[in-house]
Amino acid sequence: MNARRIVAVFGAALVAAFALPFVLPSNYAVNVAAMILFTAFLGQSWNIAGGFAGQTSFGHVVFFGTGAYASTILQVAWGWNPWLGWIAAALAGGVVGLAIGALAFRAGLRGSYFALVTLAFAEVFRILANSAEFTRGGLGILIPSDPRAANLQFKDPVWFYWIALALLALSLAVAAWLKRSRFGAQLAAIRENEDAARALGIDVFRAKTICLGISGAMAAAGGTFYAQKYLYVDPSIAYGVEKSVEMLLVSMIGGAGTVFGPLVGAAVLGGVGEITRSFAAGQGLSLVVYGAILVAIVAWLPDGLIGVFARRGGARRGRDA
Amino acid sequence: MSRNRHALAPSRRQIVVTGATLAGALAAPRIGGAQARPVRIGLLHPVTGFVAYSGAQSRLGGQIAIDEVNAAGGIRSMGGAKLEAILGDTQAKVEIGVAEVEKMNEAGVAAIVGCFQSAIVLATTQAAAKYGIPYAVDVGASDLITSRGLKNVFRLKPGFGKCVDEAIKALGGINGAAGGIAKSAVIVHESSEFGTGTAKLLADRLPGINVEVKEVIKHDNPTRNFDNVALRIRSLKPDVLMMSNYQNEYVLLARTLHQQKVDLAGMFSVLGGGFNYKFAKDLPDVAEHMMDYNHWFAPTNPKAQAMKKKVEAMGTLFTFEVYLAYNAVKLIADALERAGSADKEKLTAALAASTWSDHFMPYGATRFVDGQNQGGEAAALQVQKGDIEVVYPAQFASAKPVFPKPKFG
Repeated sequence: MNARRIVAVFGAALVAAFALPFVLPSNYAVNVAAMILFTAFLGQSWNIAGGFAGQTSFGHVVFFGTGAYASTILQVAWGWNPWLGWIAAALAGGVVGLAIGALAFRAGLRGSYFALVTLAFAEVFRILANSAEFTRGGLGILIPSDPRAANLQFKDPVWFYWIALALLALSLAVAAWLKRSRFGAQLAAIRENEDAARALGIDVFRAKTICLGISGAMAAAGGTFYAQKYLYVDPSIAYGVEKSVEMLLVSMIGGAGTVFGPLVGAAVLGGVGEITRSFAAGQGLSLVVYGAILVAIVAWLPDGLIGVFARRGGARRGRDA
Repeated sequence: MSRNRHALAPSRRQIVVTGATLAGALAAPRIGGAQARPVRIGLLHPVTGFVAYSGAQSRLGGQIAIDEVNAAGGIRSMGGAKLEAILGDTQAKVEIGVAEVEKMNEAGVAAIVGCFQSAIVLATTQAAAKYGIPYAVDVGASDLITSRGLKNVFRLKPGFGKCVDEAIKALGGINGAAGGIAKSAVIVHESSEFGTGTAKLLADRLPGINVEVKEVIKHDNPTRNFDNVALRIRSLKPDVLMMSNYQNEYVLLARTLHQQKVDLAGMFSVLGGGFNYKFAKDLPDVAEHMMDYNHWFAPTNPKAQAMKKKVEAMGTLFTFEVYLAYNAVKLIADALERAGSADKEKLTAALAASTWSDHFMPYGATRFVDGQNQGGEAAALQVQKGDIEVVYPAQFASAKPVFPKPKFG
């Protein structure tokens, strides 16, 4: 597909997604759809570093939590408007990403060592949030409920849906840019063979650090979204390892290093989660079914679900040729 | 041929029976129409996740209450309308809990009962407030729950602020009667809102009864090993250990201290998630003489004893989650009876004006101020000879406290 056609298809999909709440039957369905879009956005933030640059992170929640706490503290303790706090949160996430990247990559950490050090950073941040006075430790911070657009709080869940959609669209644009840009090509080269990339003259340290900064800013923006939606942040919510796993999982299941992988992964996992959760009668049954489906996807689709479409597309093109 | 045709033709009896059946089927909606529409109650609890046992117990309590109301003829002022449970599982996650509230709203619930963890109660009550759904908090100790000005939130039991004040009073009384032997304490608490808030209040109040706080130790959920915490406690040599944790960590910490034979004059928890009949039964040596300040039924109330027998006959234990959820549902049933309607505003007004006393908690008639029942009181409990006894306040006490507890060996 040429660039103009891609933009047209993307635009049409965006308009359709924008109109979706008008055909969804209930607020519950809108809420589920919003959470799928939001999870896809968080997955994309992981995908920028883990998929495109091959810097697998087990502790991406460190950025998410930083964003959640940054905007919440600025809002509750300093009286900032949450919209401004949101921008500050994204910047804070970016700075944390640059700092972790600079420390880890300067030390030459790669692969599983880098993954473990991100996990360690997330744990350190969680412990700090649990101990510090300004985060109110384990008591957490409650954002006073005042549903007004100026406060980035909404009574109608459709607004969170549209914000999640905007975030996702932005993240897809970043991913598409990475797929086609020189910087993206550098990241792909680093992912495939870091030493070879260095030999080609790529500044590996700089590229990886910037990439983690972008990824961190995105995840932090997600943290603010979460805090404004649920109006409460505590250390286990902000820095809990489950969120890191969720980000990683949607990308891996959908297809890491692809533009639409996290969206596909989030849609499938979100859908499966909702369906299995409706088996309320069997306590825990939903999680068993959910786990079994995950194992099946990982076992039989190592390139993620998007890999199936890619293979089919390739086969069809082969037949056409 | 003709015989076959005859066999296929309907007999007069068949026509009568079929006609009667059809008439019955057609009339059924009219008969159904005469019956009041059921009132849906959302039972929202973490039945999976790290507090699944407590969530399942809560759900059981709510369902027993619903069954009892229905067996007694439903809500009389609403033409005998039956209650119908809409079950929800928070999975101990905020976003799932909120999604469940959205689902319950779509299902048309008149009220919600839930949901065990303070952090999730905070988020789900707020989600319910958007739709004006009355929300009876069965378990959820944070004082923030009823201090946000949400009109739809009601809590029958006391929050941790009051529990800590009363627990300090109880400990002061018990320690005073024993000659003031306890002069120092270590506090161990879980790291979320519930444990941290409780520990903070304890650390503030203990010096007021001449007990010095040597250290405050927090732990995560879940924690799988308390060896180092036990060693730290042993090295600090406190007279009493104050605990505030959920089920699994509570039991594991108690067991580790018992295995390491850490001698203490007393182990005293406030809202100890694991202090229940299951603990006393499963680990009688560990549990013996441990004390807890927690929600408890009035032991002399015949309704409480009947309910206890009923729950135990079902093969499960009469834990605080069961009777708190049970009474929360009964509170809503009483409000429905007085409101005569499942309209959310009317039901909220009826709950706010509630003077319900037909429960078996040591609370007296309900009186809600900002959603918090003012009469809610917990009790000091102690495991004695494998059973749980109320040792404070004196008017409900079923035994005298054993303090200090016997030393190991």
